[in-house]
Amino acid sequence: MFKGLKLTDILVTIVISIGFGILYKIWGPLYYAVKPLGLHLDQLIYGMWFIAATVAFLIIRKPGIALLAEIAASSGEFLMGSEFGLEVLFYGLVQGLFAELVLMAFRYKRFDLLVVSIAGISSCIGSLILDFYKGYVGDLSTWNLILYIGFRFIGSILFTGVLAVAIVKALEATGVTKLVRSSSQKDHEALNQ
Amino acid sequence: MNTAFKENWLHKINPSLKLLTISFLFVFAITIHHFNFMITFTLSVSILFIFCTGHPYKHILLFLLPFLLIFLSTAASMILFGKGETTLYKWGILHITEESLYRGLHLGLRALTFAMMGLLFALTTKPVQLFYSLMQQLKLQPKYAYSFMAAIRLIPIMIEELQTIRDAHKVRGVQTQKGMNSLLKSIKSLPIPLLSQSIRRAFRIAVAMESKRFNSSNERTFYYQVGFSHYDLLFIGYFILSISLAYLFAINFPFFPVSDVRY
Amino acid sequence: MAYITSVNKLRLKFPDEKGLLFKDLTLSFKKGEKVLLLGPSGCGKSTLIQVLSGLIPYSIDIPIKSENIQIPNSWGFVFQDPDSQFCMPFVDEEIAFVLENLQVPREEMPERINELLDMVGLQLEDIHTSIQALSGGMKQRLAIASVLALNPDVIFLDEPTALIDEEGTEQIWNTVKNISRDKTIIIVEHKIEQIIDFVDRVIIFTPDGELLADGNMTYIFSNYKEELKKYGIWYPGAWEDFKRENNQKTVSLRNDNEVHLKNFHGYRKKEVKISLEEALIHSGEWIAVNGQNGAGKSTLLLSLMQLIKTSGDYQINEQSIKKLADLQRKAYLVFQNPEYQFITNSVFEEITYELKGGKEINNEYFHKKANDLLTIFGLHDKQHQHPYHLSLGEKRRLSVATAFIQNPKLLLLDEPTFGQDAQNTFKLLELIESERQKGTIIIMVTHDLNIVQHFATRVWEVKEGRVISDRKKNETKKKVEEKAYEYSI
Ligand SMILES: Nc1ncnc2c1ncn2[C@@H]1O[C@H](COP(=O)(O)OP(=O)(O)OP(=O)(O)O)[C@@H](O)[C@H]1O
Ligand SMILES: Nc1ncnc2c1ncn2[C@@H]1O[C@H](COP(=O)(O)OP(=O)(O)OP(=O)(O)O)[C@@H](O)[C@H]1O
Ligand SMILES: [Mg+2]
Ligand SMILES: [Mg+2]
Repeated sequence: MFKGLKLTDILVTIVISIGFGILYKIWGPLYYAVKPLGLHLDQLIYGMWFIAATVAFLIIRKPGIALLAEIAASSGEFLMGSEFGLEVLFYGLVQGLFAELVLMAFRYKRFDLLVVSIAGISSCIGSLILDFYKGYVGDLSTWNLILYIGFRFIGSILFTGVLAVAIVKALEATGVTKLVRSSSQKDHEALNQ
Repeated sequence: MNTAFKENWLHKINPSLKLLTISFLFVFAITIHHFNFMITFTLSVSILFIFCTGHPYKHILLFLLPFLLIFLSTAASMILFGKGETTLYKWGILHITEESLYRGLHLGLRALTFAMMGLLFALTTKPVQLFYSLMQQLKLQPKYAYSFMAAIRLIPIMIEELQTIRDAHKVRGVQTQKGMNSLLKSIKSLPIPLLSQSIRRAFRIAVAMESKRFNSSNERTFYYQVGFSHYDLLFIGYFILSISLAYLFAINFPFFPVSDVRY
Repeated sequence: MAYITSVNKLRLKFPDEKGLLFKDLTLSFKKGEKVLLLGPSGCGKSTLIQVLSGLIPYSIDIPIKSENIQIPNSWGFVFQDPDSQFCMPFVDEEIAFVLENLQVPREEMPERINELLDMVGLQLEDIHTSIQALSGGMKQRLAIASVLALNPDVIFLDEPTALIDEEGTEQIWNTVKNISRDKTIIIVEHKIEQIIDFVDRVIIFTPDGELLADGNMTYIFSNYKEELKKYGIWYPGAWEDFKRENNQKTVSLRNDNEVHLKNFHGYRKKEVKISLEEALIHSGEWIAVNGQNGAGKSTLLLSLMQLIKTSGDYQINEQSIKKLADLQRKAYLVFQNPEYQFITNSVFEEITYELKGGKEINNEYFHKKANDLLTIFGLHDKQHQHPYHLSLGEKRRLSVATAFIQNPKLLLLDEPTFGQDAQNTFKLLELIESERQKGTIIIMVTHDLNIVQHFATRVWEVKEGRVISDRKKNETKKKVEEKAYEYSI
């Protein structure tokens, strides 16, 4: 699945993901800061931790990018000395994999809000599965658990879907995405003018 | 992390081995449901973290501070909202039970050990050594390893760039207007240029690397040969011994009258 | 004799652009030639050598078409931006990266690394030095060393000295001369003084990317002088011609604007990085700031713009300046790296950006001025292009042009002329000159001594974080040798 990736694809993905990794690192204390506020409001911002996958995919549009991006972002966060420690690597791996599976289901042919939102929700499900093992979230009282999951879903759509699409739109306007996407047939034909 | 520190034996452990060991411990810690064992397990990790990273105690203390917050906040929601039968305190929707209290503390400790193990690794491993070791011992493809190393080199450059872009925008008056609208604008005006600039830079570096005959074949020699040493044995030995002791102690001299914290 | 690299009927077009950059360009190079590609800014020189080296289209996906392209078997490429060509954090690791690619056995590496560093004259106490700690000139020499590690037949150099000081430039070209014996060297460069006696073939391009002339030095510069002048391409003596045709302007000090500095210090990470004892500057003065890479020139401008922490007395027209807001509509800074300054997505928006915030939004005068500036700087055809997609020289001009749309009292320019052809350099300088005559105070960082001699009315020399000398024009002329430590006021 990674065979088709060129060095430029990989390096660009990793660089932006490590950038997101730094953001993830800053996000950690923020998450913990809003956590004690009350009823899982922290879960609303959880979705930020899935964003590298969809942003990188929307930029480069190739198979494997989402997974690689999420792994790279979590490695970056990890190497910066994250409060979550090694946990982030496992979460990154699983979240990236879940997002990748959705994109694969769409054959890597769609780059719209719907698809990346579904990818975000998928990452979210991945993270919840880990939470059930690691955080005993199943042992929360039921109403609380619903709040917990509900907020995280909403957050995933907001960050991984809506925000990611907005970021990539803005990037496309700066013309930078042309660097990493292949030139079209039309451009080649134009040479015969 | 660029603080001054002494190199000691933890720095000399094979990075791949260190990573695998810590990953194993991570999985292992998730399988601990016994509260007393969790306490002694945490102790055995903290000893290594506090005394053996070679960083001055002042820094270690500084690192520990946020960990306290992690401990509290992770524990809190489970304590307050977790399931349980033996009520200790009830007020409105808050319902603290004995079970949820122990489970909350257990989770707090767990988060604490993850944090310490992670930082232990980050503090005692040089990225370049790590990626060379991953290529040599775990057969990571060079194109990924070198991309990571290049990206890590770019971090300080990107941070400096962020500052310059901010200055440039100030000069051009991007942030001079007041009010909510311009606040939003200024939030937007930084990340996008930074991201697009990073992509351009990454692209240029990839082109430069290819121009230096970097190719995707795995055949290459290595400037650093990362091998194994007796410190690796010491590292693994420490965990085997200390965790066994921790287990025996917890079973024979429990601090609290609970065993499994699950509901 | 066989060719080492060549293109036949090359066509190239950037995606989403209208015209072709090259139309049926044919060019070939023989082994061992030292070639200089010369042409107006934006004619396609950088793009061409990327095609010749195969970077386009193998690494950079841009559509090309040709009857035949011959790429050299072994080649190296020195890029222009010193910060975007390394992938490892330390000097030795960077060269080792190349050796690893070539599968040099590990035992031989340290020796090879030392040898290569010696070859480019990069003497370091410890080869395990952080690349970030090197100056711009040292970084470029490291880049050459890592290219030499490939033992290439052909070396491509794309303005390797654009951001390097006088001394560094000389060192780099000396390095290139020393290592070039049996190699083919293909150079793109605007600053030609230092290499003119080294290259044995010059190829001149027209602004449309067509071949104008191709031959040896003397042939080109004696037969094509008119064309060179017409297209604004540098040739030996271009400055002399310009000086002859344009009289020295007289310096008349006026009092409408006045900047006063006393015990002025600029800080970076709490350390003093630049200091200036005292200076009084009047309208009509043009101060050239001189000094080596890393001396603190940019820091000085940033301090004057209040973008970093400063201390001491700083007044404009007796009004004390303490923060950036005090400088609103008083001062404008053009940064060293043009890319940082772009905030919109097209050249035209970029130039008119400052107008949008203000009241003058629909003011015809300003729109006319914007259009004039675009024409003056040869950016009129590019006004819908994205600023990042310009050539290096075009980017620089665009970022400088934004300064002229408003009327600052104090104009701070950080190397505004790097990467420019002759025509644009002169236009730019004349524009600055007319601002000066209108009463704007100009403070400009430059490595170009011609500018210092011909335009500046005053010179500040910066060394190791201090403004060590402050000389006025007439004094400079009288005692060129004497580097007196002398404050004018
Ligand atoms: N990615 C791109 N997309 C669209 N146009 C581009 C792109 N890159 C360059 N151009 C245009 O192609 C032309 C040639 O650019 P190039 O960088 O080769 O010029 P150059 O001769 O090296 O100029 P300079 O001396 O200023 O460096 C310029 O007009 C530039 O605006
Ligand atoms: N962001 C920064 N933080 C800390 N120190 C810096 C920073 N930028 C530059 N410096 C240091 O300040 C000193 C002066 O740097 P400055 O950029 O002003 O040099 P310069 O004279 O403009 O050089 P050049 O000709 O290469 O542009 C250098 O020693 C540099 O290492
Ligand atoms: Mg160029
Ligand atoms: Mg500078």
